[in-house]
Amino acid sequence: MITYDDDIVCAPRAGTLYDVLDLILDRGMVIDVFVRVSLVGIEILKVDARIVVASVDTYLRFAEACNRLDLEHDVRSKTVPELFGGPVATTLGRAGARRTARSLTDKVRDLLTPEEEREEPARRTGAREERGRSPQRPRTRPAEHPRHEHPRHEEDRPRPRPRRRQETEE
Amino acid sequence: MTVPTATGTTTAGTTALDALYVYGIVPAGSRAPRSPGVNGAPVRLLTETGLCAAVSTAPVRLRARRRDLMAHQAVLDELTAQGPVIPMRFAVVSPEAGVLRSELRTGAAHWEKQLDVVRGCVEMNVKGTVVPGCFAQLVRRDEKLRALARRTRQRPDYEANVRLGEALARGVRREARRAAREVLNHLAPLAVRSVQGSLDDEQVLSTSFLVRSADEPRFRQAVDARARDVGDRLALSVTGPLPCYSFVDPRPAPARR
Repeated sequence: MITYDDDIVCAPRAGTLYDVLDLILDRGMVIDVFVRVSLVGIEILKVDARIVVASVDTYLRFAEACNRLDLEHDVRSKTVPELFGGPVATTLGRAGARRTARSLTDKVRDLLTPEEEREEPARRTGAREERGRSPQRPRTRPAEHPRHEHPRHEEDRPRPRPRRRQETEE
Repeated sequence: MTVPTATGTTTAGTTALDALYVYGIVPAGSRAPRSPGVNGAPVRLLTETGLCAAVSTAPVRLRARRRDLMAHQAVLDELTAQGPVIPMRFAVVSPEAGVLRSELRTGAAHWEKQLDVVRGCVEMNVKGTVVPGCFAQLVRRDEKLRALARRTRQRPDYEANVRLGEALARGVRREARRAAREVLNHLAPLAVRSVQGSLDDEQVLSTSFLVRSADEPRFRQAVDARARDVGDRLALSVTGPLPCYSFVDPRPAPARR
């Protein structure tokens, strides 16, 4: 979103192990008389790292954000954050450095999540399943597994999920 | 992208007892790195005709564990700080010391040439991922998108929303790719060479640059400036200085192949 705080989005992120994984595994010298031990599971590890956000769920959230734009008037002067009210930067400042990343994620989700869902976080899991079939249906299904809240939360992050999974691989 | 399969192992991931894990090749006279190697093994240098190979006892079972990947990287980082290094790919194992020595001897000319290529240089890897947003700008600029958004609003339904969202995702990606090209055009003149990595719908920029060590601060500043310019479309990350993984050529295959 263009609502990211400048300091967060505009400073290049320092590289992590994830960022050099492709170099360590695919580049560098190989000598053909040497054994290169086959690394079982590497392909899976790497495919996993490239999971893309291109999913129906993302599309619906994009459409939702777009549907809130004022198409007829004033498109020129309004930005997405204005439409959603309140600059994110303020929220971030208050949230404190340690929680910055999380609060940013929450904020982004909030921006991209329909209002009714936002108010009923416990129902989100159910609501999401419903949305896949019929977005118009009232979201009254109770959450069967409240702990599924977590994956949902991560799914909304553009990239870090696979990255994190990789970093925890022992 | 596939990982080459083992040529000399019978069981995947296992090695002979006297096998050596090879990290990289450096000029003779280098100091052995202090960082522990793969599986925590101490790293030593094996010297042969003006070249050293940084090695450690290979673990019986080698896997791409996080800590082993990081150990590989740490050993090479330490060597890179001393001088030119030919970094090996992760998991290159010499069956025994003799094989490695003869490889260093017979390929000495090739290794020296490779060391010259990377001497005084570091690898800087820049990646860029799509930043979703700027919907207002996208809609404003794109007539078709605006028409689609308007139609969707008038007759909202699931299919229409998916189509609109998909069109927005395409637009966002297109903007990010354009930003990636801008970034490349700005950074390329600061590097000796560059090599592109694999891209996908989300990672639209992944390029390694061979940068002279002296130019590293300038390169970083340039990345910073680009990041500010394209931050609303593309999130940049920069990793380096790294061992020059992307700028060494494997030895030409012997005649038998």
